[in-house]
Amino acid sequence: MSNEFNLKRKQMGIWFTLPTVIILILVLIYPIFASIVLSFQKVRFLGQGLSKEFIGIANYISIFSNHTFQSAFIRSIYFTAIEVVAILSLSLLAALLLNHPIGRHSFFRVVLIIPWALSPVANAVLWKWIYNANYGILNFILYSLGIIHEYVVWLGKPWLALNMILLADIWKGIPFITLLLLAGLQNIPNYLYRAAKLDGANTWQQFVHVTFVGLKTPLVISAVLQSIWALKVFDLIYVLTKGSPADSTVLLNYLAWRETFSNLDIGYGAAIANILFCMMFLLALAYIRILRPRQTRRGE
Amino acid sequence: MNSYINSKLSRREFLKITAVGSAGLAMSQFLSGCAPKKSEKVKMNVLVPAAPDPAPPGVAKFAEDAFATWQAEHNVEVVYEAPPWPQLHDKMATSFASGKYTYDVMYNCGWVPEFADYLYDFVDKLPADLISDLPTSSFSTVTWKGKKLGVVFTLSLLTLFYNKEHLESIGVKEPPKTWDELKGVAKELTGGGRYGWVLNYGAPEGIGGVASYWMVYLQQVGGKVYDENGNPAFNNEAGVDALQFMMDLMPYTDPGSISYVGINDATNVFASGQASMMMNWPFMYTAASDPSTSKVVGKFGTAILPAGSAGSASIDGTDAYTIAKLSPNQDLATKLIEFYLDKDIQKRQVLDTGWLPIRMSVLNDPEVQEKAPNAAVVLEQAKYPYDSFVTPDYNAVTTAIGVEIQKALSGAQTAAETIQNAFDQVTEIIKKRQ
Amino acid sequence: MFYFKRAIGSLFIRLCLFVFVGVCLAPVLWGLVTSCLPQSALTSKVPDFNLRNFTLENYVLVLDSSRGLFLGLKNSFLVALFTSIVALTFGSAAGYALARLNVPKSNTILMMILATQMFPGIVIAIPLFLAMTQFNLIDTHVGLIIVYLSFILPIVVWIQKGFFESIPMDLEKSAAVDGASPLQTFQYIVLPVSLPTLFATGVFAFIESWNEFFFAIIMTRVNVKVSSIAIAEFSGQYQTLYGQMLASAVLASLPIVVLAILFRKFILEGFVEGAVKA
Repeated sequence: MSNEFNLKRKQMGIWFTLPTVIILILVLIYPIFASIVLSFQKVRFLGQGLSKEFIGIANYISIFSNHTFQSAFIRSIYFTAIEVVAILSLSLLAALLLNHPIGRHSFFRVVLIIPWALSPVANAVLWKWIYNANYGILNFILYSLGIIHEYVVWLGKPWLALNMILLADIWKGIPFITLLLLAGLQNIPNYLYRAAKLDGANTWQQFVHVTFVGLKTPLVISAVLQSIWALKVFDLIYVLTKGSPADSTVLLNYLAWRETFSNLDIGYGAAIANILFCMMFLLALAYIRILRPRQTRRGE
Repeated sequence: MNSYINSKLSRREFLKITAVGSAGLAMSQFLSGCAPKKSEKVKMNVLVPAAPDPAPPGVAKFAEDAFATWQAEHNVEVVYEAPPWPQLHDKMATSFASGKYTYDVMYNCGWVPEFADYLYDFVDKLPADLISDLPTSSFSTVTWKGKKLGVVFTLSLLTLFYNKEHLESIGVKEPPKTWDELKGVAKELTGGGRYGWVLNYGAPEGIGGVASYWMVYLQQVGGKVYDENGNPAFNNEAGVDALQFMMDLMPYTDPGSISYVGINDATNVFASGQASMMMNWPFMYTAASDPSTSKVVGKFGTAILPAGSAGSASIDGTDAYTIAKLSPNQDLATKLIEFYLDKDIQKRQVLDTGWLPIRMSVLNDPEVQEKAPNAAVVLEQAKYPYDSFVTPDYNAVTTAIGVEIQKALSGAQTAAETIQNAFDQVTEIIKKRQ
Repeated sequence: MFYFKRAIGSLFIRLCLFVFVGVCLAPVLWGLVTSCLPQSALTSKVPDFNLRNFTLENYVLVLDSSRGLFLGLKNSFLVALFTSIVALTFGSAAGYALARLNVPKSNTILMMILATQMFPGIVIAIPLFLAMTQFNLIDTHVGLIIVYLSFILPIVVWIQKGFFESIPMDLEKSAAVDGASPLQTFQYIVLPVSLPTLFATGVFAFIESWNEFFFAIIMTRVNVKVSSIAIAEFSGQYQTLYGQMLASAVLASLPIVVLAILFRKFILEGFVEGAVKA
């Protein structure tokens, strides 16, 4: 009886998974395969379509010895680390706020969606305008408040420009993660809090032992997704700085685009993209490892 | 329990809606694909930027009646695709890489050598009187390996723009004519929140990027980027002097310049009266005369760029039309480009949109000269060299040079170091291409 | 003393909420103001906020039919709607299956699904364009929807899987004891309980499809121009019409905000209390 039941569940499982897997394979298997193959080739814009010549790992070798790539690599790691930490903590705070009885009003949830609803290109142009050296509102406000004594060229100095891009991306990324964490918060049954209170836990202890524990899965998923998105950042760089000043805001995905579409060196660009893929894959594996031990303890 | 029944219904509904919806979409695609093509009209696909960037009639608002007539006469339907300018290169690269016919006529801006293999050389098929009416040097950026692969349709050269009021306030009646005069005037005008010079140094690559500006100064001291064999030839006094001049101007330049990615940002500063001089394309004349965006309407003038030791020089904006090799309508496409270059159409182009014509006869037309005073200045500038040094590696080369120049402009390295670094990198890039 | 502490606490929360709303809305408000002022009022060291200057001219210019904003909105809506419906359906089904239904090699499948997310669109674009051209799917709604599904489905699967896993097993076990088939358990027990997440994911799918730009540029030409492309047209090489671009962005974001307001109750009303049978 239970075997038949389990068989039924397995069959249903397979049928449920099939449509997704089929779509993904149909659409992506050829492009992914092609992009891997391209990275081992010297591709030129000649002839009818493209002319391809197999050159083994030459692309990868020249990438790793390339100074621009090395700097972009380090910058991407910095960018991703800071962005993930910032977004996760700020979103957690926002989710807690919106879960609080006072903050539960739907007005706040609609406000939350607004940064997210803005088109990425318009968002980039908006922030470019906000950061403008002469007419940007950021300079105006800070100057009027006396915080700065002369206008700052936000996108003009290497580290500053990178961090301003980071700021804009964090602003854009908070709504989704907040929603995710909020949904997770609402999934934590109330009786757990009551039980903790009965056991004598104060607010902080309740947070650590009930809230944080209950949010572990959404937090890890958020970390994985946000890391992937941080490594893929493109629109902001393209509109705000085009990699300037002096390539100091060039991150890996932007570099891949520049090599592929601007310099028309598709093989080289594909190699960079594949390296990005490996980075994301390893990161995801690491995150999942954090999740796994938990699963055996799950069960209320 | 009610909520459970509701959810059951809603899930069935979901599936139903999806199924019906997808079937509906599929059907409509299928049906539209199956519709018999009754008309014999030929369809031509034309890829151009969206206005206000240089665009043909039908995208930009001019000569629309004439265009409709032309289409009817030739039994053609011209389908425009007008993505934002920054995406043009990506779209063309993708379409060429796929090896399939996508476009007939395409706008091009310095990419002709890159895409030379995919372009059809139609220029010799144009009427002789048209070709003789075009400045010969305008073909230098659209010719590759001896074949003329495109036609520039607007005379767009960088010239000097200056604020007349500002100059008069320090007693200068004429715009600066030499490098020393430029530096002197810029120095005097800087101060009190105002800058003598502004330009966009934020983007390293492309026409209108920081490397291309350096090429302006390079030519003004008689330098060249490449020699006759296509090898880099700027690692000399000319290259260093050109860069040094840009660096010398920095104390009198808007500090925000390093963050301005597009020419538009620099234009804003000039048009608000905060900067006194800049280099810009002829189109700016119209933009700065628009009262809703500009505070210097009627207060600015334009002149040829100040001369270095070898005289004045500029670069070509190289906005051109080209035809794809894979196009099945090459003759018709040639006729379309001929139409865009027609005298009346070119006249309307300048009068209605502010983009100067390329035909000498139209440039010298008194009505045009009156409405567009900068036409005379640009014609004057065209008497001096205006090479944009376009090659298949233009993007990679200008990126390399531009990044180094940005480091120099921010004071991180000397001019000599910069030119040496840039030279080494460009040599690498050229070697890769062999 | 207790009431005093409570008052401070609630004041603090209110302050935080105020900051929160401010941070979310400030840049957008500035965008709104910019779209209502002519460029000349904005380009001074001190922006000219004189009320005289406020104008809706940018909006009028933007709604001009040659800009194709309406066409863009219509296309965006169609594409976003179908993508999110299909993504939610297939994605939550797969998420549940991989969470609970003993699918063989589920971990490998999950990692593979996530892995498809990790290939930057940059390089996939050209081969994908080639494939889509072969099947005549360029510049079609179906083509764009399929492409969007390929990168929205993995996220839906992962989020849904996470939440289905966090639903106590007892819930499903008690349903099985009551004689429910796996399908019925899914429909009547699991789904109602996960409505908050389903909505969050649905919102995600909709907004991501609505705002997507890179593939929209590559995969469409004239007929399926979406709103994000229409907006981007205001930023050109020689001129960036800030006011008009922001005006069009405001207009293009309105449908989403309106939908969010309409469905605000559904965005996260928990059904968790009382769902577990004692």
